[in-house]
Amino acid sequence: MAQNKLRVLILDDEPIVCKRLKPSLEKLGFEVDTFTRSFEAMQAVEKAAYDIIVTDLKMEGMDGMRFLQEAKKLYPETEVIVITGFATMETAKESFKKGVFDFIAKPFNLNEIQKVVQRAADKIRSAGQ
Amino acid sequence: MYDAGEQPYLCLRIEPVLAALQKLWKKVFKPPEELITFPELFEHFQALLQDHQKVMEIIADLGEKSGGDYVFDRKYLQDSVNELHVLLLHLIKGLNLISSNRYPDLYTTLDRIFLPIDAELRGRLSLAAEMPYVVGLEDLPVDHPELTGGKAANLGEISQRLHLPVPPGFIITTRAFRYFLEQNQLEDRIHALISAWLGREADTLQTSRQLQYGLLAGVVPQEVGREIRRRTEAAPFWAVRSSAHGEDGELSFAGLHESLLQVPARGVPEAYKKILASLFSPEALSYRRQMDMLGEEAAMAVLCQEVIASRASGVVHTLNLEAPETECLTVYAYPGLGRPVMDGRAQPDRLVVERQAPHHIRSREVFPKEYVVRPAPGGGEEEVTPAPEERDLPAISDATAQTLARLAISLERYFKRPQEIEWALDQTGQVWILQSRALAFSQISDFPPVEVADLRERYSLLLQDQGVVAHAGVGAGPVWVVESDADLEQFPEGAVLVTRYTAPWLARVVPKAAAIIAERGSPAGHLATIAREFRVPTLVGVEKATGVLTPGTEVTVDTNNRLVYAGRVQELLHYELLEATSFEDASEFRQLRRLLKRVAPLHLIDPQAPDFTPEGCLSVHDVIRFVHEKAVQELMDLPRFLKRFKGAQLWTLVSEVPMGLKIWDLGGGIDPAAQGGEVTAAQIRSLPLKTLWEGVCAPGVWSTEPIQVDFSGLMSSLTRTTEAATAAGFNLAVITGTYLNLHLRLGYHFNLVDARMDADPHHNHIYFRFVGGVTDLTRRSRRARLLADILAKYHFKVDIKGDLVIAKILHLPQEEIRRRLLVLGHLIGFTRQLDMQLKSDEDVPAYLAKFLERLQPLVDLEGS
Repeated sequence: MAQNKLRVLILDDEPIVCKRLKPSLEKLGFEVDTFTRSFEAMQAVEKAAYDIIVTDLKMEGMDGMRFLQEAKKLYPETEVIVITGFATMETAKESFKKGVFDFIAKPFNLNEIQKVVQRAADKIRSAGQ
Repeated sequence: MYDAGEQPYLCLRIEPVLAALQKLWKKVFKPPEELITFPELFEHFQALLQDHQKVMEIIADLGEKSGGDYVFDRKYLQDSVNELHVLLLHLIKGLNLISSNRYPDLYTTLDRIFLPIDAELRGRLSLAAEMPYVVGLEDLPVDHPELTGGKAANLGEISQRLHLPVPPGFIITTRAFRYFLEQNQLEDRIHALISAWLGREADTLQTSRQLQYGLLAGVVPQEVGREIRRRTEAAPFWAVRSSAHGEDGELSFAGLHESLLQVPARGVPEAYKKILASLFSPEALSYRRQMDMLGEEAAMAVLCQEVIASRASGVVHTLNLEAPETECLTVYAYPGLGRPVMDGRAQPDRLVVERQAPHHIRSREVFPKEYVVRPAPGGGEEEVTPAPEERDLPAISDATAQTLARLAISLERYFKRPQEIEWALDQTGQVWILQSRALAFSQISDFPPVEVADLRERYSLLLQDQGVVAHAGVGAGPVWVVESDADLEQFPEGAVLVTRYTAPWLARVVPKAAAIIAERGSPAGHLATIAREFRVPTLVGVEKATGVLTPGTEVTVDTNNRLVYAGRVQELLHYELLEATSFEDASEFRQLRRLLKRVAPLHLIDPQAPDFTPEGCLSVHDVIRFVHEKAVQELMDLPRFLKRFKGAQLWTLVSEVPMGLKIWDLGGGIDPAAQGGEVTAAQIRSLPLKTLWEGVCAPGVWSTEPIQVDFSGLMSSLTRTTEAATAAGFNLAVITGTYLNLHLRLGYHFNLVDARMDADPHHNHIYFRFVGGVTDLTRRSRRARLLADILAKYHFKVDIKGDLVIAKILHLPQEEIRRRLLVLGHLIGFTRQLDMQLKSDEDVPAYLAKFLERLQPLVDLEGS
């Protein structure tokens, strides 16, 4: 993998989610930053673009839906993957309307999310060619 | 495959039938006031079975999530617990409806089980009244470091799970500590003193002295003191050590709290107070302030162990800190008791030993021993100068160093971190583990995870993207394929266990395995549960694994990416050991494991046992087992049954197969021309019963010859006869034209078949439940496995648990249901005494082949 590493941002207010996801994506060759507070994640996004954002929806302060909208406003080409424990058709529909790449219900298995992130990465890479 | 079905197994459409029948029933008979009508009862029973299945599925799901392959959060735990609670309330209500309210106590049972679970989820220290003041190491509840402190919790795991030799002893729990504070009215005083100190109104030394004085002057509560005295009678001298909550966890309080060795039995209560007081030593106070831990209540558990009069003692570091890349560990050893080494006054021998078996010794440095400490004849310790010829002798032999290396590596494999292990060698040459904790070392470098793509370039892959993760992790070792008992006996420490089945009898080698790969099985299965208990990385459902993995060759199993590499992937192993955070230690996982302990274990096995009562239910599983058993009993209870059926037509089936089957026809199940109380098979109109019976009666299925019973089978059958003989009930089929619910007790087996054969496939299902049987559990589970294999061939979804087999299949066309009911008919006959004949695991494939061959002409599946 000689290409530049793709940058991934993970936002979830449950530290365990960040702790588990980070190494599993790093092993696939991504550069990963994790956040448990949305405003800190927002600050990071404002500073530099991320290729892929993985975010929870329900959080204190700025919720995931608003966060992903703001991030998309800044960088429309960023692919966003939503992970949530409150998976309903409604939220899924709304996410897709907001241009979300994929939607995963919690609990999920690591392989499942690795595959989705990989797909998002493939899409980004093929778009860049 | 043996995975749990994703759908509830019963999609019954019997409501309309029942409603119509109920009307009719009420018209014809006036049911007695105290008894509900049979159709109603039956409806409750069906609902109950559905709830039972849902609960089983949630339990399986929770188990699966504890294997590390899933990311979950606290919300998931909360949701699952809420769902369980609602289902159990339903179940209990259902049973009480069926039984005219005979089990109101179950509501109390439910509270008893769920209150601590809720407390647990709210993150409160669950030091509920059920927790003991004093508990033996052998009974120590593991995964409760808040009760026992980290040090004791580790030792509990070492002795209970890894079965390594740990000196016998007991723990005076944090609950006893709180009780001590309460009895001596110390809580407010401690709080006030610490607040003043934090507010800089008092200096550290003075505060410490006042706090410690308070504790030392306290009186050990009677119950606690009595229990200590009772337990210390076992040995003359004791080691009394701190095991504070948080110590030996992520933070190291190493050396901050007191440890007292060679305490005479009488002196243990006083020593206990001294250890408690060390919680407030000036150093401990400062450390906790520094670590910002004063907000939490400090709690001290105290570990008391019999003193090993050691010939030598020392420490093992499973990683050679000076050269971590050399794959060696370091053994430090000194003659006599451990004091000189612990105090840093003596120079111990130092042996560098290879981490991998057979643990060659790489180097050995032996230092002169100026003095040794040994137990004094009248108690306490004494220092002696060794004779000149003993001064330069090595403290331990190479063989002992190798034993230590083996134990140390198995500890590391379990705790998933380099370990620092205190050990002692007694006069008989037996090695004892005194303590094991994570080895503190500064991260060598903050290197990023090894990337899978790079590894794939360097190592060849033997398996990829196959199977399901039962327990996540990385493990390496030589492949060891287990196909027979002999393979099990010789299973080497640290090998990779490869097996066709995930049978319960593999359990005893699980703790020795570096990783497990099974061709069959599900993450909800028995082996998966055991693998999680021993934290062994495990993949199940890896087809053809035994064909691909050659015995004796080194492999590295990485379940995180579902890859098996040829050879030892050293960089990956290093990363996992040194850098990766092990999920097992995350608080959510601990919480889930504690929760599972109150949910999953089944204690109520035997319905005839005196503790088969609401009070005897200790877990969620127990409750549903109890409810299910009692519900079946209600349904099968002869006197009440007859009362319910007074005036109802109950047919007796006359057949060459002597089963004594009673049939209750809810409509359309029996030829209208039938007369009297008896029917023949030809008069059965109920499609499912007719078909099943066809299978049972097929030539050669119902063997009437006496069956050869070998000695051990017979002995075991004799001991179980009483239970079977007293089991209540008789064989009953409840039918309609297209529906069958059949309870069969044949010999010692209990079969339940629930099936519908309708023109519309969406209404159709078969549910089959098989349990019980003579002979020991090993044989019974062998039979269960054979049943599972046969049923899986016919595309049933099968779950096995011990000797319980649950198979289900849904939404098939009538003809497909027909084929499978024929198979079930065969199976019922075939398995009647099968477990007596299944003598070894190797027999299973042969029997399977025999059965399938016999069935072939009858129920050809190739076309399906």
